[in-house]
Amino acid sequence: MKTPVSVLRLPSGPEPNSRGFDPSSPRFTALCSSSSSDDDDDDEEQQRLRSELRQRFLWTLSLMKHKLVQFDMHERVRMRARFGASDLDVLRLQVSELETPLGVQREALVRSQDVLACSFEL
Amino acid sequence: MAMRQTPLTCSGHTRPVVDLAFSGITPYGYFLISACKDGKPMLRQGDTGDWIGTFLGHKGAVWGATLNKEATKAATAAADFTAKVWDAVTGDEVLTLAHKHIVKSVNFTEDSNCLLTGGNDKVLRIYDLGKPEAEPQEIAGHTSAIKKALWCNNDQQILSAAEDKTIRLWDKNTKEAVKTLSFDASVSSMEYIPDGEILVITYGRTIAFYSAHSLDLIKAVDAPASIHSASLHPEKDFFVAGGDDFKLYKYDYTTKEEMESYKGHFGPIHCVRFSPDGELYASGSEDGTLRLWQTAVGKTYGLWKCVLPEELSSENSEALYCPPAEIKA
Repeated sequence: MKTPVSVLRLPSGPEPNSRGFDPSSPRFTALCSSSSSDDDDDDEEQQRLRSELRQRFLWTLSLMKHKLVQFDMHERVRMRARFGASDLDVLRLQVSELETPLGVQREALVRSQDVLACSFEL
Repeated sequence: MAMRQTPLTCSGHTRPVVDLAFSGITPYGYFLISACKDGKPMLRQGDTGDWIGTFLGHKGAVWGATLNKEATKAATAAADFTAKVWDAVTGDEVLTLAHKHIVKSVNFTEDSNCLLTGGNDKVLRIYDLGKPEAEPQEIAGHTSAIKKALWCNNDQQILSAAEDKTIRLWDKNTKEAVKTLSFDASVSSMEYIPDGEILVITYGRTIAFYSAHSLDLIKAVDAPASIHSASLHPEKDFFVAGGDDFKLYKYDYTTKEEMESYKGHFGPIHCVRFSPDGELYASGSEDGTLRLWQTAVGKTYGLWKCVLPEELSSENSEALYCPPAEIKA
């Protein structure tokens, strides 16, 4: 009976949250390190702006706590609820007294991807 | 001591893998791109199958994919009526070339400056990648959808295979058909070997080898089942073929004898190609996987390790993954 050939490991598969093309790989650093200083400045400015926007978003989420928030959803549905918290990935929003077209839900989780906009009084 | 082939399975695609291509040998090894009906072509390290990245952007099944020799550019052909050119180092989309129908095939010239496309609108197009906004040169003539289009003979001629059961050789400058081959069945695949100017064609159960210059038949072999793709080893001592019965066949090119057949895939094999160094070949299947197979079974190469029987039971073998004796892959 033939012995099967041994392997060191199996080929690695795709990462779930990334499209790959690791910028720290030897090939990437060798072939793509030719960006000019102008590009670097643009990148830095972009990164600064992104950080600022992200910070403002997180502050907004924390300010929303306990406030009455209006959610605009698809199909022109509008719901009001008292905002509780968001999960880490901002995928779900915990709310209370959610006024839905079908009635008031005492406690609910709203899928953030379904929300087009939300507004509240500061 | 005879060893049994252990194919390496590359998972990640969620739909059938319909095309694959290797780059040339670069200072960073060689690379492999796979086209998949899930719309997300992937780049892998050629000798290990390790995933490097996914080209995101197509909105439909990707029917064809190719890399340039240096693996710095990739091109894909898709059902969303576009062909796209990508930076194969960063994964960024560089160019989208709109077509009037599903695009099936893409191929770079040796210098990577021109891209040839072909698809369901029956027209071959040549894009100058230095002037992407310029209209492509068009070559019409096929009466059905084009399945595969390749540069050949120093990029001076073009070979195209279509559903009209013909293969045509075109002159790039005159855009005239220099020669036409007709078949009884639709050609399922085509591979051009520049060194030796050989064309490998599959149709029905036949794997045929033609001269790329004269389109004269060199030899033909019939397989036990309908064949979808075949590839000739760079040194022209073997060729491999796969198709409807899920198996991979290995033949001696000189004697045309079947040497081995390998089971492993769970669906028909759509594409098979030898690596540029001939040490392995890759197959893509309806089952959504790519598998890498050794040419010389048992040799230490890539992730395969030649292990002597004594080593298997010794303490040093902890780092090795030895597949169970009864492989039902």
